[in-house]
This record gives sequence, structure tokens and C-alpha cells, in this order.
Amino acid sequence: MTAMRVDVKVVMLGKESVGKTSLVERYVHHRFLVGPYQNTIGAAFVAKPIQVGEKVITLGIWDTAGSERYEAMSRIYYRGARAAIVCYDLTDSSSFQRARFWVKELQNCEEHCKIYLCGTKNDLIQEDRSLRKIDYHDAQDFAEEIGAQHFETSSKTGNNVDELFQKVAEDYNSTAFQYMTGKTKLAWLRLLQAACHIFTDSPGS
Amino acid sequence: MIRSHCILRTERRGIHVDQSDLLCKKGCGYYGNAAWQGLCSKCWREEYQRVRQKQIQDDWALAEKLQREEEAAYASSHGVQTQSTTPPQPGHTSLGPFSKFEEKKTNEKTRKVTTVKKFFSPSSRTASKKETQEGKTSPSISRHASFDTDQVSKDFVEFLKNLQKPGREIHKQCRAFLVNMSSKKDLGADELSECVQDFYQNLADRQMTHFKGSSESVEQVMDQVEKYIMTRLYKSVFCPETTDDERKDLATQNRIRALHWVTIQMLCVSMDEEIPEVSENVVKAITDIIEMDSKRVPRDKLACITRCSKHIFSAIRITKNEPASADDFLPALIYIVLKANPPRLQSNIQYITRFCNPSRLMTGEDGYYFTNLCCAAAFIEKLDAQSLNLSPEEFERYMSGQASPRCSSAEGEWPHTGQGAGVAATNPVLAQLNHNLEQLSSISSRQEKVMEAAQSLQADLLSWTESVQREVNDILEKYPLTCTVSAIDANNIDNDNLPPPLTPQVFAG
Repeated sequence: MTAMRVDVKVVMLGKESVGKTSLVERYVHHRFLVGPYQNTIGAAFVAKPIQVGEKVITLGIWDTAGSERYEAMSRIYYRGARAAIVCYDLTDSSSFQRARFWVKELQNCEEHCKIYLCGTKNDLIQEDRSLRKIDYHDAQDFAEEIGAQHFETSSKTGNNVDELFQKVAEDYNSTAFQYMTGKTKLAWLRLLQAACHIFTDSPGS
Repeated sequence: MIRSHCILRTERRGIHVDQSDLLCKKGCGYYGNAAWQGLCSKCWREEYQRVRQKQIQDDWALAEKLQREEEAAYASSHGVQTQSTTPPQPGHTSLGPFSKFEEKKTNEKTRKVTTVKKFFSPSSRTASKKETQEGKTSPSISRHASFDTDQVSKDFVEFLKNLQKPGREIHKQCRAFLVNMSSKKDLGADELSECVQDFYQNLADRQMTHFKGSSESVEQVMDQVEKYIMTRLYKSVFCPETTDDERKDLATQNRIRALHWVTIQMLCVSMDEEIPEVSENVVKAITDIIEMDSKRVPRDKLACITRCSKHIFSAIRITKNEPASADDFLPALIYIVLKANPPRLQSNIQYITRFCNPSRLMTGEDGYYFTNLCCAAAFIEKLDAQSLNLSPEEFERYMSGQASPRCSSAEGEWPHTGQGAGVAATNPVLAQLNHNLEQLSSISSRQEKVMEAAQSLQADLLSWTESVQREVNDILEKYPLTCTVSAIDANNIDNDNLPPPLTPQVFAG
């Protein structure tokens, strides 16, 4: 077992097919998902070392299932995450509503988690401006309101992708010493246990 | 009736005659019992106590010896520079007790084998009798387990030897902690968890600050510490009586059983089990998740989950020809959990969360898969009609067993060819079965045709012989066989005045 040491947990949140997996795939392997790839078995969890100044920080990127049927479980996923990339599709207004939902969830349950709002599929907009359903300024206003960073990316062209993850790593680096002492780890564990209890307390019929 | 009475009586008489054999072997005058090795209940209890006492003493002696060995190992590892030239160790030769230890171990093994055999012996009654005769099968099992822990302790000591001074310090702390924990058995699970987690934290911090260990080496040490500590504590802290883990385990198990009808399509899993490579990976994933319960160290349990997940990823990749995302993975894991019904799922999840080194659980790959397993368990618990895209009525009918989605699509028609596809997709075995059935039915229809043809042939043959017969008869009737002598012959019947027949003559010359 060659488990890589991971410094920070980053969760990807967003509706199904907004392109969470493509974003990770583009960032980690510098490619866009078209056609078969034989050399990776899964893109659900990736550990990626990243250079920040003098230091190397390893991001552990957690992909999550975006389907609504797993909505109740998403809380277990972002437990302990220091950064959440909340994705929405620039050409799909319903995906932005879902993004609002996750932002609210994160604000309620995970106060130490920094939020990055990310509009995907920017290349489609570049080709045909009429496809845009989410106005840049609306999203920007929302991001400011919740104290989040805002990015518009394209996994197809790679536009803004590296910048997004670089920012995540830098922000972590600048705040890393404030958290993650032993006691917070323990506190986090308590929370995880509490989360498990929520789901296991009521026995099945 | 009378005869059976006689037999009974003679039997009774027989028992009466052998009565002395039935008395307690200790000669206390009471009746003995075969189940108690011919002793009476009172003497048996005394005897049994004695054996058990001896066993406990043996165990103690062994534990003490091992501790001495561990300490000796330390003494030798640190006194190597000065004492290495004097071969005979002062206390005891290390070879002697070790070979005895080995011997005991093999004894232990053979005993375990006989226990296992007993479970498979044809009559359960004789098995239980044998067990009571030995009177110590269960202690032998627990002792076997303690041998495993001894092995772990040895490995731990070996590992720490390389660390010199910090190693000794760590060992001392671990031992002290274990002693401390043994006095805290009555605490609740959460308190125990807190103790262990605090211990991990303090130990890791100490190594960082006092011995200036790199974070990687500290992690390595902590893995070993976790292995040592948790192997020792496993029995008392896994599924403890103070929690309702066991009740939850049963609830989950029953829940999964009740959900046996959930198909791969309902969960939208992108795994095509008809591809042999995929179904192979599915089987491996199921094996791994079941194996989790057999491990004692939290990290080993996590490794089982990770292996299971990797197999699922392979299965999805083969099916879809592209790397799996979380949207594919979670449903597949849920499906695997439903199919495997892993033993003591809740207890294992709780045990891992309580006692695993948190740095692993929080961020790393193992942590990711473990989180997914937690989600799968939670999903199964909360699963309802909506989460399977079914109507509430349908869901109710499936849950109550009134209908089964697998059969309803092809109910009563499965021998026919048309409905095969719906069933085939669910399971390769079913598909094969279906295929065979199709072949069988086509064979039987062909056989019927052959039979028909044969029968008509037979009928033809019969009618042909009949018709021939008839024709012959007709002809016979038409032309009856009458022996009429021709007129010429008749006229000459007794005419003797014919010239004599010519006789050959020989002409000479």
C-alpha cells in the first residue's frame, strides 16, 4: 500500500454532469476526457503535490456523487474538508441553484472550509455567447456575498484550471498554521462520529 | 407389542446389571454421567475448575514469559556492545523457552483443527458431547488468538529495536497505556476512543518534538503502534457491550436481506456483469469487503475497503472504457454492499472511526473509500422508493415480497425466447440459464416433430402392409388357386399304349 501523505482535503461538489471529474482530470493529467483512457482506474480520488513558494503541498481531491439521491449523504463527504470547489455549469441555470444549496450546507456545517465557486464549460460560451445562462456578475456578486473565490474554467481548453487549484493550495498554505493542531483533529473525529450516528441511530425497518 | 415390552425389560435388566459402571468414577457414591467423563455433577465441577485454573495459570505464565522475553530483547539490544562476547545469557537461554513456545503453538494448531472438525462431524449431539468432554475448547480458541497477539508484539519489538532510544521510550509508553486501558474496561466506547486517540496524538507529538522525527517516519511508527495497541485491545473494544453496535449490525443485516430484490439497473450502476472480466472484479470486490471483518487492526480493515474499491473501479473502467467518477463509484459500492451483506458492518465502521489513526481517515485515499462506505451504509439505511426511482406502491410490493422485479418482467414466459433479454441483463448466470432453456425448448420441439414423423412413418408402414395384404387377398379371391390338370394330360392319364421313349443308341463307326 503506497498511500501518499495528503496535507489537505479538497472536495468537489456540484450537480451531476457539470464536469467535476473532467476538471480534476484536466488538472491532474492535463487532458480532457474524450475517448478511452486505460492508464487510470479512477478519477474519484486523486492526490496531487503542488509547489507553493518553497513548500510542496499535497492536495487530496475528493470527487463526490452529484446525484440528488445521494444529497443526504453529502455531509459525510465534506466533513473535515479545508476547501470545497462548488461547480456549476455556465450553460445550465438549474446547476447554479444546486450550487447555492451546497454553499448553504457548507456554511452551516463546515465553517473552516473555504469555498471556491467554479463555473465550468467556459469554452462553450466562447463559441456561442447565447448559451450563457449564468451571468458573470451575478455569480461574482454571490461569491462576494458568501466570501468565496470565483472562477470560470474550461476543462476542454484548460483555461483557468491550474489557477483555481493553485489558489486553493496557496490559501491553505497561508492559513495552515492556524488550524490542524492535534486537538482540531480530535474535534474533527468527534464530528465524524456524530455524523455516523445521525445515519445509524434510526435502525432500518 | 409384547415383544417390544420384552426388549424393554431386558434392556432395563441390562442397565440394572451394569449399574456399578454408572456410578461416579471418583467413587463418591453418586451416579456419574458420560457427558461429564463418568463423574457426577459435583465431582465434574471440581475437576473442571481444576483444569481451568491450570489453564489460567498457564496463560499467566506464558504472558509473563513473553514479557520477560520482550524485556530481554531490549536488554540485549542495548547491552550488545558490552555483552555480545559472552554467549550464555545469565537468566535463561533464549532458545529453550522459544522452542517450547513453538511446540505449544503447534499443539494449539492441532487442537484448533479438531475443533473445526467437530463442527463438521455428522451428529451435532456427539459434537457437543465431545466438546464438553474436553471442557476447554473455547479457552483454546481464545488462547489461539492470544498467540496472534504475541506474534504482533514480537514484530513490534523487532521494529522498535531499529529506533534505539526513542524505540524503548515508545515501547514503555505503549505498555503503560495498555495497562492503563485494562483498568478502564467499564468506560463507554466514546471515552475509550478518546483515550486511544489522545494517546496517538501525544505519542506522535512527542516524537515530533523530542526526537525530531520527520513526518513520514512518525507516520510509520504510528502505524506500528496502532497495529500493536489495537491487536491487544481488539477483543475488549470491538463491538463493546456498552454500545448498541450489535443491535445496529443486526438491523443492517436484516435491512440488506430485505432489499435482496434491488437490481443493478435500479441503482444505475455502470457495470456490465456479462463481461467475464467485470464479473470477476465484482466477485473479488465482494470477497474483499467481507474479509474486512476478519482483520483486527483498523488500518488492515481500511486496506480491505481500499482493495474492494479498486476492484470496483476496474469493473467500471472495463464496462465504460473510461475512468470512473464518484457518480459511477458510489452506486457501484452500494450495489456491492447489498450483494455482499458484509458481516458486522456497523461495528466495523464504528471501530474504524473510533480507533484508527485520524490522519489516515481524514484526507488520504483510504479515508476517501472509507467515507464512501459510510455513505453506502447510510444510503442503504435510508433507502426508499424515491432513491430507486420507483413508485411507493411498487417499493412496498417488493419490500413485502408480493412481487419481485426480476421475475415480473418475464413471469411465466421465461422458457420462451422473446423475454430473455430483460432477465439476461441482471445476471450472467441467469442469462446462461435462459440460453440453455431456449436451447432445451427448441430441442424438445424438434424432438416432437421427429416423433410425429416417426409415428406417421409407423402408421404408413402399418397401412402399407395392410394394403399389400389386402391386395394379395383380393387377387387370391379373384384368382383362387385351383389345381386343374390340362386336358391333354387328363385324357392320357392311363394310356399305356404310347410308344416307348427313345433310348440313346451308340453307333459305332
